[in-house]
Amino acid sequence: MASKADIAEGATTDKSRGGGVAKGRVLLRGVTKCFGAVDVIKGVDLEIAPGELTVFVGPSGCGKSTLLRLVSGLELPTGGSIIIGDRDVTLVHPSERGIAMVFQSYALYPHMSVAENMGFGLKIAGLPKPLIKEKVAKAAEILQLTPLLDRKPRALSGGQRQRVAIGRCIVREPEVFLFDEPLSNLDAALRGQMRVEIARLHAKLGATMIYVTHDQVEAMTLATRIVVLNAGRIEQIGAPIELYRHPANLFVAGFIGSPAMNFMDGIVEAVETDGVSVRLNGATLRLPRHDAAVKPGAKVTVGIRPEHFRVGPTPTDMDHDQAVEFDAIIDLVERLGGETLAHLRMPSLSDGVLVVKISGDVPLRIGTGLRVGVRLAQCHLFDADGRAVGEPAARAVVAA
Amino acid sequence: MYDNRVSGYLYIAPFLIGLATFTLFPFLASFLLSFSDYQLQDPVEQARFLGLGNYTQMAGDDTFHGSLGVTFLYVFITVPLKLAFALFIAFVLNFKLRGIGFFRTAYYVPSILGGSVAIAVLWRYVFAGDGLINQVLVWAGGEPLNWLGEPAYALFTVVLLRLWQFGSAMVVFLAGLQNIPTDLYEAATIDGAGKAHIFFTITLPLLTPVIFFNFIMQIVQAFQEFNGPYIITGGGPLKSTYLLPLMIYEEAFKYFNVGYAAALSWALFLIIALFTIIAFASAKYWVFYGNEREDGE
Amino acid sequence: MSLISAPRRDVAWIGRFSALLRYAVLIGVGLLMLYPLFWMVAASFKPNHEIFGSAGLWPQEPTMDGVVKGWRTGTEYSFATYLLNSFAFIMPKVLLTVVSSVLVAYGFARFRMPGKQLWFALMVATILLPKSVLLIPQYLMFREFGWLDTYLPLYVPCAFATDGFFVFMVVQFLRGIPPDMEEAAVIDGCNSLQVLWHVVVPVIMPAIISVALFQFMWSLNDFLYPLIYLSSVGKYPVALALKMAIDVTEATAWNQVLAMSTIALLPSLIVFFLAQKYFVEGITSGSVKG
Ligand SMILES: Nc1ncnc2c1ncn2[C@@H]1O[C@H](COP(=O)(O)OP(=O)(O)OP(=O)(O)O)[C@@H](O)[C@H]1O
Ligand SMILES: [Mg+2]
Repeated sequence: MASKADIAEGATTDKSRGGGVAKGRVLLRGVTKCFGAVDVIKGVDLEIAPGELTVFVGPSGCGKSTLLRLVSGLELPTGGSIIIGDRDVTLVHPSERGIAMVFQSYALYPHMSVAENMGFGLKIAGLPKPLIKEKVAKAAEILQLTPLLDRKPRALSGGQRQRVAIGRCIVREPEVFLFDEPLSNLDAALRGQMRVEIARLHAKLGATMIYVTHDQVEAMTLATRIVVLNAGRIEQIGAPIELYRHPANLFVAGFIGSPAMNFMDGIVEAVETDGVSVRLNGATLRLPRHDAAVKPGAKVTVGIRPEHFRVGPTPTDMDHDQAVEFDAIIDLVERLGGETLAHLRMPSLSDGVLVVKISGDVPLRIGTGLRVGVRLAQCHLFDADGRAVGEPAARAVVAA
Repeated sequence: MYDNRVSGYLYIAPFLIGLATFTLFPFLASFLLSFSDYQLQDPVEQARFLGLGNYTQMAGDDTFHGSLGVTFLYVFITVPLKLAFALFIAFVLNFKLRGIGFFRTAYYVPSILGGSVAIAVLWRYVFAGDGLINQVLVWAGGEPLNWLGEPAYALFTVVLLRLWQFGSAMVVFLAGLQNIPTDLYEAATIDGAGKAHIFFTITLPLLTPVIFFNFIMQIVQAFQEFNGPYIITGGGPLKSTYLLPLMIYEEAFKYFNVGYAAALSWALFLIIALFTIIAFASAKYWVFYGNEREDGE
Repeated sequence: MSLISAPRRDVAWIGRFSALLRYAVLIGVGLLMLYPLFWMVAASFKPNHEIFGSAGLWPQEPTMDGVVKGWRTGTEYSFATYLLNSFAFIMPKVLLTVVSSVLVAYGFARFRMPGKQLWFALMVATILLPKSVLLIPQYLMFREFGWLDTYLPLYVPCAFATDGFFVFMVVQFLRGIPPDMEEAAVIDGCNSLQVLWHVVVPVIMPAIISVALFQFMWSLNDFLYPLIYLSSVGKYPVALALKMAIDVTEATAWNQVLAMSTIALLPSLIVFFLAQKYFVEGITSGSVKG
């Protein structure tokens, strides 16, 4: 019963709750979750700083939603603890955690008007009607929902429903907003628009947000930090650009970036202080990096992003850097307009087909030859276990 | 989906209490009673254990044999006919016709009312000596028939009352038919299949779950029919409509032979159970569950 | 497979099965089915000799005699008493059925608990269990309780979700509803009972109405249970009163009995026509959606 007072207080005396610095912080310690015999979350440690917008990405079924639901309290962890603000909320009821959640299906109450939907949580908390009305009106204004307040959800468009779902969260004035693929039911144009709105909202409210998505663009553009999940574990945590530039392992390298990074198998020929020589299918690359852990003869994987290949004569700026060029045969061309994806055979690098992203202006004909160049500094190197070699080690604290 | 098992059990507690008190306990009690000579007017303590007495009596009881025969006849006639007719009408209704709603309602009304005493009373008058049917027969130049007095005709009137209520089964079939995605039909048509082909390879297989559901429900209900024969014919003439439920009722509440009635009711239970088990066991050979999925619970 | 390729004539026949023919079938069958009902209503307004005299519908000498005498009944009570008696136990029965079915269905559909599969299977089994096997012990039990000749045996069991069919219907309905809304309500601060009341009940209202309507109809039709439990005529519901009427007035006063039957069917008919979509939804939810 203390809970009602709690929410009411949290809602009225905004800043004073949660005690200063830690307000909006989310801390997961050794969190695990099993459904029956299935381990879905296998030990996650994660700290989210106040005001961050953290995005969970990962392949389908990796446990993103489950992890979010553990934070929300809709699922209880099998092990570990969850801290929001200064409080250990591991076993606390979802409504008392200071969170609010936007569902993929919006989950609006079909029999209530927009205003009632938004004010429902406050009504349950026992707030007086005028106060509810005021808070709903305020949130509605932020989201431009004011003219729709008396409508039922079924009379709203997808984007409007989405905004109501967000409005319902704002009204609760939570420490942490949780989003589970909020935009995946919208069409592409609306998705872009709503993405911008969420970014704006984040800037405006400054609240902590955790955001689950499939969409690379959403992840890269919205995130303060991205958490890459795979099979119930964290693979890497970092700012979007950091994950792009310095993926800690093969999984992250392959997952972040679109189209995906090209991978080529190789064998280490020599290790020197300023570089590692790797023998690929037909050529040897000397990559300017060093890691004492790689030994000559070790199996490694070289990764090159499609956008890091260059076509045509080597531009001058490449002279400063070590660059190499290869002969390629054009296998397939996908023209996207501004850009073109060329699927190339480069026997010196690999048996398979490599994808290269180049300007849309370059004329390409299937079956003809092409010379492509790549800067060696932009090549990624991974050891037999998939760890990045010579890159900053994985920042994720992955429990064994 | 809540993990809280205590509140889960609190919610289903009414059911558990009801199951124990009003189902499981009476179920076992009737099993025990079926081995006793208990008479309705006596205090329960006076019941004596008879062993298999009631069951051996049943084996030699001509009334029971007759009743059993009539019951099987009734079920075996009504269930297939009712299902076939319901399916046929549902199929006719499933074309894009104007006024489907009207016909659906018209056909459904009898199954809403059919179980009532009022309809049974009406049936009595419709088939009475100078009732509606005979008037029509005479008008058409035929001979009036003794519908309720001739054993064969009497069973027919009772059977007809059940067939008259085909609407509920039809509504279920119709919903099943309308649940079949039209793109399947379109795909089959593009593949060059004729209408009959489509009916046998698409409609019928996809309808089997609904047929199965209707079949089970009709079997179980037909074996339990009471109101119609009790009111229209009272089980007669010559016990030609004396269905097992009638016999159980009369043994218990007219002749007070509760022990024997309990044995009869167990016989009925075992028959229904047997049919249900056979139906469920056979289901995997003919019921097609196309988009079967794991239940995420 | 052999069934399929051979009968080309069949295909042609179905092709020629024109809309006209279909309408003819539908109208013919419909008339045959509904004629007895119309005849019953018409007969309520005919003198007796006219009922025997023609199979036609329209009364030649319309009279309210049958209705009036039928309403008075041959007993010391008027038909109003019997109607009220019916409602006296049907209303609590419907109410208790709805409440208990919804609670139990919610428990089954939304809670993880050990043993759930078993209980659910038992519930489905009770749908198939013939009532006559329970009839006698239940009678003895209620006799021990001293409930004979009261309405208690007719409705008290309904408080305990004894009609598995209704629980099953609501469970099926709930399974078709994604739980997100309820989770949103949990985050909004509801406990499970509040979720049920504020969110689930409004959303499953169609199923609830179906349950109430079916229980209403079936209880109105119910004959065997009142027959064994009620002994004083003053407590008889409509079904028993009608049975009594044919035993007493049979031979002569057809118009009275048919008028009584007509009146007895009116509540069901009215409810059915007001809410027929719920009947269709209700009866199909158990079979098709599942
Ligand atoms: N209630 C549950 N019971 C059993 N298993 C579950 C349950 N919820 C989720 N799972 C399983 O846990 C795994 C992770 O599910 P989760 O929904 O978290 O994946 P996700 O990363 O959100 O996937 P998606 O991107 O497809 O939404 C899946 O294999 C799923 O089948
Ligand atoms: Mg998910």
